[in-house]
Amino acid sequence: MERKLFSLEEALTSVPDGALVGLGGNTLNRAPMAAVREMIRQGKKNLRLVKTAGGMDIDLLCRAGCVSTVDAGFISYESEFGLCSFYRKAVQKGEVVAHEHACYTVISALRAASCGIPFMPVRGLQVSDLRKVNDYFADVKDPFSGETLAAVKAIAPDVSVVHVQEADAFGNARIWGPVYEDALLARASRRVIVTAERIVGDGYFAAQREKPQIPGFLVSHVVSCPRGAAPCACAEEYGIDGEAIRAARTEGGGQP
Amino acid sequence: MRESAVRPGDMMAVELSRLIHNGDRVFHGVSSHLPMIAVLLARHTHAPDAVHLNIPGGVNPEEPVLRSWTSAGDELWEPAVAAFPLMDVFDLSMRGGLDVAFLSGVQFDQEGRVNASVIGDYRRPKVRLPGGAGSAVLIPTAKRAVIWRTKHDRRTFTEKVDFITARGHVSDIITPLCHFAMREGKLIVESVHPGHTLAEVAENTGFPVQYYEERETVPPTEEEMRWLRRIDPRDLRSIEFG
Repeated sequence: MERKLFSLEEALTSVPDGALVGLGGNTLNRAPMAAVREMIRQGKKNLRLVKTAGGMDIDLLCRAGCVSTVDAGFISYESEFGLCSFYRKAVQKGEVVAHEHACYTVISALRAASCGIPFMPVRGLQVSDLRKVNDYFADVKDPFSGETLAAVKAIAPDVSVVHVQEADAFGNARIWGPVYEDALLARASRRVIVTAERIVGDGYFAAQREKPQIPGFLVSHVVSCPRGAAPCACAEEYGIDGEAIRAARTEGGGQP
Repeated sequence: MRESAVRPGDMMAVELSRLIHNGDRVFHGVSSHLPMIAVLLARHTHAPDAVHLNIPGGVNPEEPVLRSWTSAGDELWEPAVAAFPLMDVFDLSMRGGLDVAFLSGVQFDQEGRVNASVIGDYRRPKVRLPGGAGSAVLIPTAKRAVIWRTKHDRRTFTEKVDFITARGHVSDIITPLCHFAMREGKLIVESVHPGHTLAEVAENTGFPVQYYEERETVPPTEEEMRWLRRIDPRDLRSIEFG
């Protein structure tokens, strides 16, 4: 098996400007912040981001001018820290295009990609203005009953960036605690960059009862990244660093 | 307790919890401390068989230690009795099996249309909002969509929403002032919370306020308050009033 251990810099250098990038985690939970910081440091441009519910990761990439579009159902730091003001301003100024989804339509778009089909039908969306104003939604007729449903266009990220607690050198990656949409994201994407709190030994997973949700054959790069979700939280490892989050939210403040 | 001393976070958490029937399958999402606490309260009081579903996918978490910065983290996963991740919850709603979805938004009209997307034009908005999260598919497919909103003014409850993120099965809206219920396709004032008046509701509502009879919301009972303090000792039910 191919060993895929790289430095953070090497791994993120593989992401070209303009790439469609899926981000793992949910809001302030297990967001891939070390990878986000490295993309900002490398001065990425025109990234097209995909996430069901994003927060600080998307906000900081918008603040740094790395983003052209965001496909997501919800963008916020949740209730305590409030709105993603850099994202919001960038959309209001026309610098970033918000492709609003329902969280489920992101999931449906990833499922379509994961199945290798061009779209996924969903219920309910047909009565929303989101259906009307966005070209990644359309009407589709059930060929059997004639019922009209909404179709969601497939999203196949060029690469996804997922932070996990444990990975081995071959890219097999184990998430502890909530998985969110990360296993699906890995299957929908052309390849995955994994950052991990710990790199485990070669025989480690073979001896475990619980197997990794992301198999290494889907992964192009593995990076050893202790505290790689900080200042966001990583289940079973650490909570948030509220002070660092507050600092980063102020214009010019904090380390991105 | 004097009626005027009922705090809005307490009143809203309690009134939201009363909308959960025993046995209901109930979902709440991110930024949702009030409904999360309402679900936990309902399961401790009148609805012990309600099923608590959430984003991390922890079914019926037992006595979770709640966090101020999320309602979608591993605090709902670690003490759960089974796994049922977000995509499963949506699938359940699609096939008609979700009873209650708790959602919010920024503008609402009398017919229960919800805007959580933009103020102004969608493509070049005056204000870009966080987005509707699950609303656009859950409000039309869940049996009952229950809305909470901690602001009650004429910009929030408006004649016409700027954008329809979702519409469908909105059954109730709980605010700091009152309980709106959907009757024959229109929101009517079901009850006014203690310490507030119908005139105050009308003054702060941008559409004509209608009601069948003037009723006061039943204030939180001693039992409800006892459980609230135990479930939520840090008063996170008031986090949106910060």
